[in-house]
Parts: sequence; structure tokens; C-alpha cells
Amino acid sequence: MGDGEPVIRFDRVGVRFRAPGGGVTEALRDITLDVQANEFVCIVGPSGCGKTTLLRLCTGLIRPSSGTLTYKGQPVSGINTDAGFVTQESNLYPWRTLLENVEFPLENIGLGKEARRGEAHRLLELMGLAGFEHHYPYQLSGGMQKRGAIARTMVYDPDVILMDEPFGPLDAQTRMILQHELLKLWSRKRKTIVFITHDLVEAIALADRVILMTQRPGMLKDVFEITLPRPRNVFEIHSQPGFAELYARIWEHFKVEMKIDMKVE
Amino acid sequence: MRYKVLILRILLAAAIIGAWQLASGRLVEAIFISSPVEVAKRLVEIFRSGEIFVHLNATVTAVVQGYISGALVGVALGFATGRSPTLSQTIEPFLMAFYSIPKMALAPLFVIWLGIGLASKVAIVFLSVFFLTFFNTYAGVKGVGEDLINLARIMRASRRTVLFKVILPAAMPSIILGLKMGLPYGIIGAFVGEFIASNKGIGYYILYSSSVFDSTGVFAGVLTLLALVVLANWGLGRLEARLVRWRPVEGTGIAI
Repeated sequence: MGDGEPVIRFDRVGVRFRAPGGGVTEALRDITLDVQANEFVCIVGPSGCGKTTLLRLCTGLIRPSSGTLTYKGQPVSGINTDAGFVTQESNLYPWRTLLENVEFPLENIGLGKEARRGEAHRLLELMGLAGFEHHYPYQLSGGMQKRGAIARTMVYDPDVILMDEPFGPLDAQTRMILQHELLKLWSRKRKTIVFITHDLVEAIALADRVILMTQRPGMLKDVFEITLPRPRNVFEIHSQPGFAELYARIWEHFKVEMKIDMKVE
Repeated sequence: MRYKVLILRILLAAAIIGAWQLASGRLVEAIFISSPVEVAKRLVEIFRSGEIFVHLNATVTAVVQGYISGALVGVALGFATGRSPTLSQTIEPFLMAFYSIPKMALAPLFVIWLGIGLASKVAIVFLSVFFLTFFNTYAGVKGVGEDLINLARIMRASRRTVLFKVILPAAMPSIILGLKMGLPYGIIGAFVGEFIASNKGIGYYILYSSSVFDSTGVFAGVLTLLALVVLANWGLGRLEARLVRWRPVEGTGIAI
């Protein structure tokens, strides 16, 4: 993968926030990274390392304090409406039914009611939510809400999707199922995905490249090519030949960043 | 289960009314507490003669005018303040100071300024309702999750869409809460105004009845007022059910 111009290019990007006490918190330092078209990139790192900040830079919700960030060749200025964004919480609109939630982005691009309905139904079916169209979010389980949020992003077909620990709050089984479905969608529609996770297994199961970040201020520590063959079986990723070696190699670097005493009595 | 509660409620009401009727003239002199039968007779009388309508009309007019204007201004200003950090930071200390003043303490001022007619009652109702709707709307708008707004913008929503299709519905439960809280305060406001100075209104009727030692009249007036509050609450409840259908109703869940 990855010939031609990168979709997202970080060039020595730094982010500093004004801390509540009056000082300055440096969230990201000197990030240089290219994300290629159709690539599945996972970003891992200890909590508080600025992973989310990195992703939010791509959405345009945060501006770099230094360096430049270009998206499809243009510097990011203002909200990036080209890329889809899936947050950690499903953030479905609680006052809208599932169907109305999925219709929301289509309303914004001025699609007619019939067309909206059709598209939303199609996506809900694809995400295994047929029959729940008229449920309100509170009537759905966490996993179903998450599928709904992904359907809402997929329905307007952005070719870049930014995902911020989307499966974090889910139980282990639901997570695997959603990972499996995300990989299916990705391989069918060939999207560019930047996916934040704190779970190394998840990162290896999904990504073409795993980017490891350091403790704050977040810097790129290492980049690992994940050469496991596709399509991957996320349910048995542990027993894939090569998985254990990859995991051990990345973990060697990861655990240093956690900066805790890991000795077992 | 529901029927059981309903039956128990009816029984409780019957017991209270029964005890009242029995106590009247036996335990306590009737001139102090009247009796349910007397009150019922009086209610029929004042409604049949039309005497009460003058008072009902005066109170309802003050409540409706004050409530609607107070709610409209309160919601609009609360919304604007919730969306503008500059505005909210500027006026917050003032609002806090005003909020801690019991509004009823200002009622005599309004009577001085606006006279004993309708205007002073409307102003008192307005003020009571305004603050409650303003604060609840403001808090509701402030409390809308940033990510709900961010996501909408990323999904290409216009400013207008963000305001009316994201922030407004997200704040709606708080707005409704303010409207509901404002109602009894509005009615109390009109009532207090009528108590201080007026020549008609339910408050006036009750005050007048008590001044001539007519406890039956006092109770008849209180019951009329009660009916008014119940009716208005019911109306708001209907409005709430229409506007926030999407909220979980107590005791419902996914499982049946």
C-alpha cells in the first residue's frame, strides 16, 4: 500500500495546552507521520499520552501549536468534514431513533427523505441492526449503540474514518465481533482508518501499521509493520503464526512507557 | 399494581374528607374549619352565580400573561447565555445575586410602580417564571455534551442545524423542568400580588373571605386555585410527553 500522496501528513506537529494552574501542558511533541490511502493505522500508547489529541487534530477540533498538519494535500483549518469520526462513547442523539440518527448526516447534505430512509435502512441492515430502526438509543445495548454510531458514520461514505477507542467500553466478546465486522467493512470498501486503542492485541489484529507513542509529552516511539496475512481472524488472532513474536516485540517497547514497576512478588 | 395504588389513593382522599366532615362542629367549631359539605355547596353557588369567574378570570389572566412572557424571555435569554461564554461570564454574578433574593420580597415594589391592577400581578408572575426558566435553560444548554456538537459539525451540520437539531433537543429536558417549576411559582406570584393589593382575583377572594371570618369561602377559593394548578400541570405534562418521548420512562427497559 501507500504510493502517491499521503492522506494525512503530520510534519513536526506539537500541541501545547494552557494548564488550569497557569502553566503549559505539552500534549504532543514533534509528531511526524504519514497515513497512506486505504491504510489501517492503529495508534497505541499508555493512557494520557495524547492519542486522542492526535486524532482530534485530524478532525480539526484542535489546532497544532507548532508544525503543520495536511489532509489530502491541504492544511487543516477549521472542522474537517471530509473524514468520519467515531468517538469512544457512541454519542448517538438520544432524542432520535436509531433510524433518525443514521439519517442525520444525510439530512445535512440535503438528501431527500425517501433516499435518506433507504440509505439508513441499508446501513442498519449491514450492521446487523434490522428490526431496531425505531428504538431510541436508551433502549439499545452498548454494542448495538456502537454499531449504530458506526452506521451513522458509514452512511455518508467518508473515505477516511477516525476512530477514538471505539470499542473501549465494550465487553470482550462484543469487541471481537465488532472488530471482525469493521475489518470486513474496511476490506470491502477500502477506507483509510486511523484507529486509537490502548489494547495492543486489538491493534495487531486490525492494523497494517501500529504506531507506538511515548508517555506525555506524546512522541512517536516506534512504528511496527503488521505483516499478518489478511483476511484476519480476530477471534483466533492469538494462535496466528507470527502473532506472539509481534506482540512480544511491541510489548517490549510499550511496557517501558508505562513507567511502573512490573515485578511480581 | 396500578389499580391497587389508585384504590388506595381514593381511600386516603375519602378518609381525609370524612375525618374533616366528622370533626367539623364536633371537635372544632364549624366557623373555623367549615366542612366538606358546606364547601361543596359554596363552590356550586359561586360557580352558578358566576361570582367566582371575575376572580378566576383575573388570576388566570395574570398567570397566563406573566407565565408566557416570562417563559419566552427566560428560555430565549437562557439559551443565548448558555451559548455565549462572554455573555454568561458577564452576567453570572448579577444573576446569582438576583437569584438569591426571594422574588416575593419585590412584590410590593411592583404594586407601587404598576398599581393594584393587572400589570403588577403580571410583572410578579413574569419575574418568578423568568428566573426559573432562565436558569434551567442556561444550565441545560451549558450541559450539552461537547462531543454531540462536535460530531454534528463533523457530519456537516450547519450552525442552524447544530442550534435547533442538537443543542435545543439536548437541553429540552432542562427547559421543560424550568417550565414545570415555574408554573407553581407563577401562580404563587399572582396570588401574592393579589394578597398585597388588589380588588379581584382568587387571592383577593380568599383574603376577603378570611377577613369576614368566612372559612367556607377560604376553602372554596383554595380548592378553585388547586384545580387551576392541577389543570395547568396536566397540560405541561402532556407537553413534556410530546417533546421528550425519547427519555426512558421509569420502570421500562429492554426486557419485557
